Amino acid sequence: MAKKEVTKPVSLDPRGGRPREKCVTYIEGIDRILNGGLPVGNIVLLAGTVGSGKTTLAMEFLINGAKNGETCCYISVTEPSSKMLSNLQTYGFFDDSLVKEGKLNIFDLTVINDRLGVERLDGTYTAKDMEALLGAFEDIVDELGVTRLVVDSITAVCYQLPDKGSIRNFIFRLSQFLSTFGCTTMLISETVVDSNVQTYSIFGVEEAVADGVVLMGNIVRQGDLLRSLQVVKMRGTKHSRARHLIELTPVGLAVVPLLKWGQDGGQAFT
Amino acid sequence: MSVADVAKSVIKSINDGDTLATVGLPAANFHEGAVKLATVLLGKKLGGIYITTSRPSSHIINELEEAKANLSDLYFVDLVSMTVGGSTDDARSLYIESPTMLESILLNISLLERRLKSKRRFVMFDSINGLSIYSEPKVLKEFINVLGNSMRIKSIYTMLMTVKEQTDEDLSAALELLSDTVIGD
Repeated sequence: MAKKEVTKPVSLDPRGGRPREKCVTYIEGIDRILNGGLPVGNIVLLAGTVGSGKTTLAMEFLINGAKNGETCCYISVTEPSSKMLSNLQTYGFFDDSLVKEGKLNIFDLTVINDRLGVERLDGTYTAKDMEALLGAFEDIVDELGVTRLVVDSITAVCYQLPDKGSIRNFIFRLSQFLSTFGCTTMLISETVVDSNVQTYSIFGVEEAVADGVVLMGNIVRQGDLLRSLQVVKMRGTKHSRARHLIELTPVGLAVVPLLKWGQDGGQAFT
Repeated sequence: MSVADVAKSVIKSINDGDTLATVGLPAANFHEGAVKLATVLLGKKLGGIYITTSRPSSHIINELEEAKANLSDLYFVDLVSMTVGGSTDDARSLYIESPTMLESILLNISLLERRLKSKRRFVMFDSINGLSIYSEPKVLKEFINVLGNSMRIKSIYTMLMTVKEQTDEDLSAALELLSDTVIGD
């Protein structure tokens, strides 16, 4: 009997090529949007307005990584780590032992600054301070073997840098060594909405240097607030660009495509 | 068509392998019929998710208990209680803050689906007309389309309950197009 010829199906992915290794977030809807997760070593700007769920998403990203044996690190810039730790207790998916076992590490930037002696009264870093801070970040990642890092928020760090050139340089240098270490990073960016348009950052520089931008926000629908998420760019993977609705549930974030609401003005961004 | 006949048609539809049915009941005995239908399905050892848009889940639970329904594998997505300030502490129910948050229905079905123990499952959407109070027809049609197809993918038998007198031709046509079968007068 003649051997049956098997035709291989043609891949419909227009990008073709070989996919990059992924850092799985273990947040079901997010991994689906990102076609399997964040490309390993990417530095991602997690941009969003107040109350949009940025810190929760970033924390779940770290906790899920820690639960799967990775060493994860959260650098708190805007609130004391003790407060962050007590907030973590309210998440159903949090496990105390991750901190005790050193899988989830939480640092205060103010403490790092104190140790480096870079805290300035006028709140502005010099070039030397920047070098010291980058060195400290590199030491943390290298010595602990960190594979997932969150800086909350990069906006607060940027406020301490003298100009846009310094911001660009700082994030570029940060992304260079993090990528070398294979550390997938989320930089949290606090944004505002102006005339119904949401920016990706306060300074307008961060998004250009980052490998990816995930935009989070609040949608007003007939007076109710809904949380939304959209992946604007992500180097190294194909991904959905549709806007999704997210909800914070006891078992973590849940994601579902956002209804178009009849494509009318029944919903606005705030 | 009597409620008993509707229940028979639903069972036949499940056995025929349908996944999406539009079930129409007259306004006069709509609530009674919906509770009876759920009781019959629970009696056939199906587990289910009851989505309520017109009455608090606590009321429906009381009626099901009176009907001696087996509630051990029945959960609720309640779009009413939080809106009207009712009780929101039943462990079987997930409460949605506002009926405009239609996507939350899909999310909560996904969460509750994990809790169902029965192999054969159903979702009872009581009712499509209840949502029309808060949503424009085009929004409602978009939602029905997403809900119907989501349930189809999950292979959970879904009944889109409609009040006969409140369902206009346009909505009926959209439901008929989406459903495997239309049950009721």
